[in-house]
Amino acid sequence: MNPGLNIVVCIKQVPETTEVEIDPETGRLKREGVAAIINPFDEYALEEGIRLKERYGGWVKVLTMGPPQAEEALRDALAMGCDEAWLATDRAFAGADTWATSFTLAQCIRKMGPYDLIICGLKTTDGDTGQTGPELAQHLGIPHICYVNRILEVSERSIKVSRMLDDGVETLEAPLPTLITVTKEINTPRLATLSGRLRAKRAEIKTITLKDLGGNPKSYGLEASPTRVVKVFTPPKVVGGEVIEGPPDYLAETIFKKLIELKVI
Amino acid sequence: MYQYGRVTPDIKSKLLEIVGSEGILEDEEELSKHSHDESLMPPHLPEVVVRPSSSEEVSKIMRLAYEKRIPVTPQGSRTGLSGGANPLYGGIAMTLEGMNRILEIDEENLMAVVEPGVLIMDLHQETEKRGLLYPPDPGQESGTIGGNISTNAGGVRGMKYGVTRDYVNGLEAVLPSGEFISLGGKAMKSSTGYELLDLIIGSEGTLAVVTKATLKLVPKPQHTALAYIPFNDVKGAAKAVSEIVRRRVMPYALEYVEQHGVLTAERYLGRSLPDHSHPAYLIVGVEGNREEEVERDLETVGEICMEGGGVEVYVADTQTRQRQLWEARKCLFDAYKAFWEIDEVDVCVPRSRIPDYIEGVKRIMETYGVLISNIGHAGDGNVHSIIVRGELERDRWLQLLERVTERLIELGISLGGTVSGEHGIGYTKKKYLPYKVGRVQVELMKAIKRAFDPHNILNPGKVFDL
Repeated sequence: MNPGLNIVVCIKQVPETTEVEIDPETGRLKREGVAAIINPFDEYALEEGIRLKERYGGWVKVLTMGPPQAEEALRDALAMGCDEAWLATDRAFAGADTWATSFTLAQCIRKMGPYDLIICGLKTTDGDTGQTGPELAQHLGIPHICYVNRILEVSERSIKVSRMLDDGVETLEAPLPTLITVTKEINTPRLATLSGRLRAKRAEIKTITLKDLGGNPKSYGLEASPTRVVKVFTPPKVVGGEVIEGPPDYLAETIFKKLIELKVI
Repeated sequence: MYQYGRVTPDIKSKLLEIVGSEGILEDEEELSKHSHDESLMPPHLPEVVVRPSSSEEVSKIMRLAYEKRIPVTPQGSRTGLSGGANPLYGGIAMTLEGMNRILEIDEENLMAVVEPGVLIMDLHQETEKRGLLYPPDPGQESGTIGGNISTNAGGVRGMKYGVTRDYVNGLEAVLPSGEFISLGGKAMKSSTGYELLDLIIGSEGTLAVVTKATLKLVPKPQHTALAYIPFNDVKGAAKAVSEIVRRRVMPYALEYVEQHGVLTAERYLGRSLPDHSHPAYLIVGVEGNREEEVERDLETVGEICMEGGGVEVYVADTQTRQRQLWEARKCLFDAYKAFWEIDEVDVCVPRSRIPDYIEGVKRIMETYGVLISNIGHAGDGNVHSIIVRGELERDRWLQLLERVTERLIELGISLGGTVSGEHGIGYTKKKYLPYKVGRVQVELMKAIKRAFDPHNILNPGKVFDL
């Protein structure tokens, strides 16, 4: 094991929009013509990983599962300051739900060598489940802490973090290795520098295929996914509502009355 | 001196007939709202605000005003910075905000036909949806196209694409007499007599009221990226501007911001930028239809900046990151206004003279002890020098402001520049017009004004005094 803190950050490439059209025939997202970016929540994970490395030494390996073009997302992560990039790509991995995805990622991480900490974004902007991180920890048999908004302390054997919950902030400590998912409050992700981008352009991307992982092909991808998508649709925009106009005092008074009327307060 | 009629109850009822009750605004709040723009010019209340909804209504209003000799001040969204929309002689404030339809986006001729009250941000959104671009991009996107035409607004894409004038291909306008004129159209070329179209553009609402505009569009480049580059010294940043162009890179935007501006943006937005600890910054926007093209330009820009005292080159390539950076640049005027009383001088000098201008500003700042923060479209030489009151006592500052403004304009002109690059002369810069154009040209301008507006009723007291 290297000295310092050895970190794996898992990222996903997503379309850069929230208004992706859905093909009514197949129920799949239409991705043509939409730029692909690193899932915004994963940028916080990358930033936090790189900051920890800058503070404690060690390295940051970035991992993604996806089609060959997901390599671009990895190069962007390298440009930000990651040390090593791993791409899990194989037709057999396609169509995976969060269970199969996290299983595949776990298999990859086992191959990638020892680690102290895994960081994931809270959720993706396209899937929005927030499950892949915790499930990955489960597959690896390590603890996990979700919704981390601040890393308080990292020692040789444990990590202390605070996390945001609906009703307050919780401080937790977990033994290493552990997995955390981070919220957008944790940091402001850096912009890559031009020299970082040039370095990333030349860097080697390590590829993992089904053959590298071995085992039964049925353990991966669509076949291993218990989730069945029955129907995909964009929820209709909520229209209507009541617009109240007028001077501030009147507005405050009216809204106050309304809230009482509706038994909100 | 011209004698003006008052907006009597009789005239109000005639206006009511023309625009209907929805089109007349006369409560105190509306009058006060339409009494000023965003400059330091003191407000002047109009007697009535009318809000026409068609060119016919505009024509009828003008006919009435012409007959009764009532001053009319055309207004967009009153975001101007030189008092152009301020109803100096009261009378009628005519807001074109209600005429805000995009009538047509012609994808074969690459033209958009719009009403004057269309907001720049809406025009951008509608054209960009179709893979097209209306290049002029002034900081204030809540401004109207009518206002932009009136001041010949520029903005951040000026260096590569030019200014509003370069994109107005046709206009329908109403003369002070109420008569319509139709200038240009969708034809790309015209050698057909004096180009009155160009006379209307930039005339600050003193010659005619624009009621419809035909605007040129261009295909929108598919890839863009922004570089944010801190510099160790102000001069290095200023020099890199012309070096980039000399090396045959033509960014679509090349903005210069001093540290004070960066800190002000951070404070206003409540978030940090990639760097804020250096004296000067360049923000460089590159674009192209192929990613490699954009990459190559970025690399060249980076190389030049690093050779010239740049500290690091940060790159934003996703739409979100680029938008965030642009937001930081574009919020600056509002940010400064939120924290201090300010005024702006926006001279435009030849690009190669920017280092001299920046240095000259520093000298003026030291001489008068007034804070001046330079922010600007460095790529086209249009630097906005923001004069900040800070802790100075107001009267003292106003005194200094007048002298500092004069010095800055003299400095700009001595370097081969203009009084105003894009804000216009309006009211506040009137006295400086002759500095640049001289007496003979001012007389020619006055003769033109008289030909269009013999009774001097359309936005009187702007650009020059008749």
